[in-house]
Amino acid sequence: MKNEGKGRKKVMWGFIYVGAFILVFAASAIIKMTYNPLSGEMQVHWNDTVGHVYSDMAYDDKEQNKFDLYVPADNTKKNYGLVVYLHAGGFSTGDKSDDANMLKWLTSKGYVAAGINYTLRNENNPEASVYTMSQEIKKSIPVVKAEAEKLGYNLDRMAISGGSAGGTLALLYAYRDADTSPIPVKMVFEMVGPPSFYPEDWVTYGLDQNPEAAANLFSVMSGNTITTDMIGTASYDEAIKDISPFMWIDNNSVPTLAAYGKYDKVAPFGTVKHLINALEKNNVPHDYIEFPHSGHGLQNDNKLYLKYIEKLNEYLERYMGRE
Amino acid sequence: MTLSQKRMVILILVIIVAAVLGRLAVRAFMNFMLGGTLFGGNFL
Repeated sequence: MKNEGKGRKKVMWGFIYVGAFILVFAASAIIKMTYNPLSGEMQVHWNDTVGHVYSDMAYDDKEQNKFDLYVPADNTKKNYGLVVYLHAGGFSTGDKSDDANMLKWLTSKGYVAAGINYTLRNENNPEASVYTMSQEIKKSIPVVKAEAEKLGYNLDRMAISGGSAGGTLALLYAYRDADTSPIPVKMVFEMVGPPSFYPEDWVTYGLDQNPEAAANLFSVMSGNTITTDMIGTASYDEAIKDISPFMWIDNNSVPTLAAYGKYDKVAPFGTVKHLINALEKNNVPHDYIEFPHSGHGLQNDNKLYLKYIEKLNEYLERYMGRE
Repeated sequence: MTLSQKRMVILILVIIVAAVLGRLAVRAFMNFMLGGTLFGGNFL
């Protein structure tokens, strides 16, 4: 009888251990999934006292040539700064609505903010390339300016920004197109946007070992015909120049805030050195924040994420002026 | 150490291990999804 009681107790404790494990494992996973240490930093209680959104304004004929314009409620100022944010999505997916929180946050700081869509490469748009997307962004800015003016917001300075694919497009506009911008470009900020397209840096896609695949991918991205024998020559550089932000950096390039993850396999980390070297070589004011434990999502370095936001606030104040 | 004390120690260890593994499982999933690496950074 005594042994039977002991046995029962053993079984009961076994269940307690297993139950406790399952319960704590699940709770810990849920807390890790739902707790966002950054959520308070960019959260805005959006209502009419903060600003208004004008959605799906057209800037050209194509279906995706639309932008959302966020304007601050206070429309009494003579001039406003514009901040453009370009969405992520590997040049083939994504939408301006993905960045609504960021755009609202920027508007709450007194800026006019714009989320701009561009024609993505997919089966419906097989001709779309990074180059055509960048040209669409270029085309959109005068329209954004005109529409903001119609609403009573005169734009006299701008920042351009984005994440991933949007980061590349933002850098391209800032370095390549700023001279022809109808609004003076004062700064660029971006996260994880590939700034260069050399096969040897794209190791995670195996392009360093496969010149044919590299030629094909970068032909698609640039919209130019690239052959394997061009790789490593001046003609290759010429073919990818229009989509390679770092190649456009000079002494007059705008201040840059950039963040990249050391373990990024989507926008390979090896591409980043060209951007940073060019910024340093040309003495462009910049801050580069490297996330040493993160991949493309910058997911494992929350303190550095906070530092990025802090730096962004500093940059906006310094280069765009306090609104 | 009494049997009850031993059981409590084991229970506490089980809870700690479960908490660590729960976080790690989410992190592994996020790293897998977001193009990072599981052991590339902080263990937790």
